[in-house]
Amino acid sequence: MKNGAFVVFKKELARFFGDKRLLFTTIIMPGLLIFVIYTVMGNAMNSMLDESASVYEIAAVNMPEQLYQSFSDESYNFTEVNLSELDKIKEELSEKKYDLCVVFPENFREELIEYNSTAYRESIPNVEIYYYSASIASSNAYSSFCGILDNIEEHVSNVFNINFVQSEDDINKYDVATEAETSGTLFSMFLPMLLMTLMYSSCASLAPESIAGEKERGTIATMLITPVPRNQIILGKIFALSVMALLSGLSSFLGTFLSMPALLGEMNETVGGLSGEYYMFTDYLWLIVVILSTVMLFVTVISILSAAAKTVKEASTLVMPIMIIVTIISFASMYSTGAKEEFYWYLIPVYNSVQSMIGIFSFNLQPVNLVTTILSNVLYSAVGLFILTKLFNNENVMFGK
Amino acid sequence: MKEILKVSGLSKTFKLSSKQQKLEKTSEKTKTAVKDLSFSAYEGEIFGLLGPNGAGKTTTLRMLATLIKPDSGDALVDGVSVVGQPEEVRKKIGFLTSELKLEDFFTPDFLFDFFSDMHKVPDDVRNQRKTELFGKFGIDRFAQVKVANLSTGMKQKVSLVVSLVHDPDIIIFDEPTNGLDVITAKVVTDFLIELKNRGKTVLVSTHIFSLIEKICDRVGIIVDGEMVICDDLENITKEKSLEDVFFDLYFERKGDEV
Repeated sequence: MKNGAFVVFKKELARFFGDKRLLFTTIIMPGLLIFVIYTVMGNAMNSMLDESASVYEIAAVNMPEQLYQSFSDESYNFTEVNLSELDKIKEELSEKKYDLCVVFPENFREELIEYNSTAYRESIPNVEIYYYSASIASSNAYSSFCGILDNIEEHVSNVFNINFVQSEDDINKYDVATEAETSGTLFSMFLPMLLMTLMYSSCASLAPESIAGEKERGTIATMLITPVPRNQIILGKIFALSVMALLSGLSSFLGTFLSMPALLGEMNETVGGLSGEYYMFTDYLWLIVVILSTVMLFVTVISILSAAAKTVKEASTLVMPIMIIVTIISFASMYSTGAKEEFYWYLIPVYNSVQSMIGIFSFNLQPVNLVTTILSNVLYSAVGLFILTKLFNNENVMFGK
Repeated sequence: MKEILKVSGLSKTFKLSSKQQKLEKTSEKTKTAVKDLSFSAYEGEIFGLLGPNGAGKTTTLRMLATLIKPDSGDALVDGVSVVGQPEEVRKKIGFLTSELKLEDFFTPDFLFDFFSDMHKVPDDVRNQRKTELFGKFGIDRFAQVKVANLSTGMKQKVSLVVSLVHDPDIIIFDEPTNGLDVITAKVVTDFLIELKNRGKTVLVSTHIFSLIEKICDRVGIIVDGEMVICDDLENITKEKSLEDVFFDLYFERKGDEV
């Protein structure tokens, strides 16, 4: 026996997978676009920060011999100049001949050696650094030069250290969180938000066409005249749309995920590296189930709006307010502190999915909350299905002009 | 002869929007499209519903096809109520109207298979039927061409064929020859007669007298949603032509309005 829902499901998929153009615009393009844009953006940002790799031209006045050791790095090229030339060199800063002009007080070294924290001093020596903030190279040279001088100053007046590290191995010795936990916290901050908004927008781009579009073109009536019960036609459509939305959302997600290293750049290295390797198979499995139940709910809600709408255009407009709600809830959760403990939070649609994802990514989801999320999503979808069947049975909704 | 379709007291009222009220020049909020309509059709005959535009022909057929529900009254299709068991009724009828469209993206071949599956037609029966119907209407050469790329006439032939995938006993056609060229129209009317000869019951609606005279066994004339006469074509046209009978009845009823 051929089940009506399955026949409709197959037809919807045949429509989707048979259309190369549609396939390209909904599955390949979103992920590819995001990947290319984010990678280009990330690389551009990193190359801006990477200006440090170039050599800074520095004009120095009265710079003590011994200080040159601290700048032995190849990225500084010093030219000794006289104080009388200062005005001319300031000009040359704006012409980008020099990146910095550093003026040390006379006898700077002697003053450092005589320094005593308890002694009274009439004046404190001042190092003047002229720079040109309109040039990125000059700004970078300024901050890097200041950093090194700060270190020297601390060294001279060293009273105590904070988290002093002797060797490379000690770098992570004070942070008691494991690398997995650090990575998990970062993931739980931005992935649920991304997943939710991407999933919703892929549902919103597919469902109106399949329901309001077929209504607008009069092709749905041809299906309604067959003996297949309306709720089976709806089920077939909902399942097919969920599969398509999932694929489209997955593409956007992969695009984002793969471009993360480029986007985060050096930050990625300093936090110890993001990696999915810390998650178990079951974590991924639960994540997929949560996403699936959420997508089904999204598709059902959007289908209801599409069935109520007269045209695809009207449906796309009706879908927007919910998009805003989903985005706000997902964004708000970015700044929340971990997943909620009490189960009743997991009865709230959208919020429950975000919280569950945060829980999965940060390794502290209670099984009861996970189950509550999935069951309530399924329950809400079932209620939606009931409403949708009512709409499909309403002749004013289906055939009204 | 077996009474295969029995319509009794069918009524349907539509709400009018303020815009429609202006168009119809009425202050009433509702429009009665079909009023207490009753008639019967018998097995193996072609029954014609004749009436001017807006008389309620299409509304009647849509109620019989279970697309919309009557406000009151009922119709029994081979003993099954359109109100009580619409899904059972849909198994017994084939309905064709210009408002039922086919998806542009698919080929006639795919659509035939899809709707056969929707009607749970076994694969071997389906293939045999497809070969026969595609051959008869010359669709076979276009079986793998997307509906979007077919001519208007070919699209209509495909719609016709698709409405018959389950070989229904009762075929309901709303304006079967509207928009068809003379050759296609002849193919369709010949096919309706062939269906009748095979023992099927055909119900057509039209405003074309010649079509009724050519193919119908019995005819019902509808004016303003009411059946004004329903009889054998022979009896109706005993003294006057169908056209004269229609206009006499029409003016008698509408009086000074026209």
